[in-house]
Amino acid sequence: MTTTPTTSTTGPGLAPKPPGPQGPAGPTESARRIREIWVSVRKPLFSVALTLVLGFGIVLLVSDQPLHAYEQLFVANFSTPANFGNLLMRSAPLLLIALGIVFSFRAGVFNVGGEGQLYVGAVAAAATGLALPGLPGPLLITACVAAGVVAGALLAWIPAILKVTWGVDEVVITLMLNFIAILFTSYLVANPLRDPEAYGATSRMLPEQSWLPAIPGLPTGNIGFVIALLLVPAAWLLLFRTVWGADLRAAGTNLRFAETVGVRGRREIILSMLLSGALAGVAGAVYVLGTGHRFEQNFSPEFGLIALTVALLARLHPVGVLLTSLFYAAMLNGAAYMQIATNVPRSLVSLLTGLLVLLMTVEVRRRRRRGQAKEVSA
Amino acid sequence: MSGFTSAVLIQTVPVLLAALAAMFTQQARILNVAVEGMMLMAAFVAIAVGQITGSVGVAVLAAVGAGVLMSLLFGIFTLRLNANPLVAGLGINLLAGGVTVFLLERVYENPGGLRPDEFPELWSVSGDWLRAIPFVGPALDGQSVIVLLALALVPLSWLLLYRTPIGYAMRAAGEDEHAARAAGISVGRARMTAVLLSGLLGGLAGAQLSMAALHFFLPDMTSGRGFLGLAAMLFGGATPAGSLGASTLFGVAGAAGDRLQGGAIPNQLVLAVPYIAAILALTAARMGLFRKIRSARRSRTAQEAADGVAV
Repeated sequence: MTTTPTTSTTGPGLAPKPPGPQGPAGPTESARRIREIWVSVRKPLFSVALTLVLGFGIVLLVSDQPLHAYEQLFVANFSTPANFGNLLMRSAPLLLIALGIVFSFRAGVFNVGGEGQLYVGAVAAAATGLALPGLPGPLLITACVAAGVVAGALLAWIPAILKVTWGVDEVVITLMLNFIAILFTSYLVANPLRDPEAYGATSRMLPEQSWLPAIPGLPTGNIGFVIALLLVPAAWLLLFRTVWGADLRAAGTNLRFAETVGVRGRREIILSMLLSGALAGVAGAVYVLGTGHRFEQNFSPEFGLIALTVALLARLHPVGVLLTSLFYAAMLNGAAYMQIATNVPRSLVSLLTGLLVLLMTVEVRRRRRRGQAKEVSA
Repeated sequence: MSGFTSAVLIQTVPVLLAALAAMFTQQARILNVAVEGMMLMAAFVAIAVGQITGSVGVAVLAAVGAGVLMSLLFGIFTLRLNANPLVAGLGINLLAGGVTVFLLERVYENPGGLRPDEFPELWSVSGDWLRAIPFVGPALDGQSVIVLLALALVPLSWLLLYRTPIGYAMRAAGEDEHAARAAGISVGRARMTAVLLSGLLGGLAGAQLSMAALHFFLPDMTSGRGFLGLAAMLFGGATPAGSLGASTLFGVAGAAGDRLQGGAIPNQLVLAVPYIAAILALTAARMGLFRKIRSARRSRTAQEAADGVAV
């Protein structure tokens, strides 16, 4: 059911990625395309492979059943419908936030605020659900998701407007806003939204008609993942097949040039950040409506940070983001199965995530160094 | 009052050390988000080594060493392998979190934390001369040696940054990479020095955090103090004195936030003040607000001088 759209988006998604000149169609054309795809995916693939090899070395050191541990980490995700549903449930927030990050990074905005945007989206959805318990299901779900969208977009608007108006560095602002957002939700969940009967910082339960329905056949997965999945081709179309997407990418590549040729770069930057925040807000809403059914203060195992690495590992391509978010979600989800079945602790996965983040940004600039050497010798 | 001052001091010192750590790299134009990871690793190593050796000196040295090693990793990835400093820094933080919890689970078989039954006391400093210092004296009395060291490091950092060749090289590398290179400065080496210095300071911050009063390590025990230091550094304009002022301010906010728990003002709001302050300060700096005030004052004094001449 869910695998069909996956493959159908992968085909047309990856193929026309390099929008190059209209060369003659034929075997040379497809060979060139395959080469270009290989060039763009080989580095991420290499860093993933290297991380997994290093991780296997660690597992060898600490466990006497290393193969079993790795099998649990990856293969067990697909062994039962419940496990597979959990995998999809975990990948939905990563996929949604990472798609948003693709838009902001493509517009040249280094949005590190995914975590904060996720939190405000989640708390806004929860507050809406609690405030309107009388609404019928579809209407209530729409209202909750809309609240998440607005909250996430509003939070992302702050760094965007500061950047285009005064040139304030968005990295630091989004980083700081994460802490502010999380403290803000901590206040809300400790006071107006608090469940007096629950232990810890959680909101009251949302009315049952607001819970996202399960995917048929996968009781642990909910349609949040389907929403995220449908947004993949939409994001691809928007980014690579519309004038707005072209303008946005132009603004990200060279803002001054883009503005000279008539792209309203500042507008593109603000819109891309609004979209980015909105998608992170949807992720928060989907988590609350589909998984938690309430707002819990520490619900996110740093989804925002991991989604950033998901987007970067995918080279900021929507279809790539689908694959990398599934990969990360498989690791996050498989960690629990690995810990139960073997004596390898689940924190191996956080260790591997850190390694992968370090390895994937490595850039061996051999060509450039040669150029510099030439400069020096000349 | 002294109780509150000492609470402020305890909140301030790790943030101050983190701010100084981030300051050196910022001067060399590297945004250092990895301070958090360096602190976390150092805090863990301090407790683990102190438990094994029973020696305070070895534990502190090991903690600083761990911080420097993490910064070396950060430096190699960003400066030699051209990784994006932000992404590599976040990677360092993830790695530090992962490694410490992995070791807690696998070696100590307690994911909840590492609490040695016996742990050597970190040297504390006390004496009449200390109490004689106005205002902060009574609060300083009996504090760990790292607290005093941190305060002494503020003028020392200033000296290093503004009065030595290596500090000059760091600032030149941050100001204009190409000009610095043309002037014969090894930009790579200057930046690496800044990164290693940040590891040293981050290591001290981690040691203070886990060794000073608590004697135990908890997963994610830094809980954003590295980022708070980053905010303090930015709020303080990336200078030693500014970092001290900002971290003290943040220390007051932190101590007040702890006191206000359950009070009329939500303590989350007080705890958010540092981050809001950093955003406002950065925006004001970019708006040229400070420059405008300064130039307004200058033009006013010029006007007055002109008036004086006219009279």
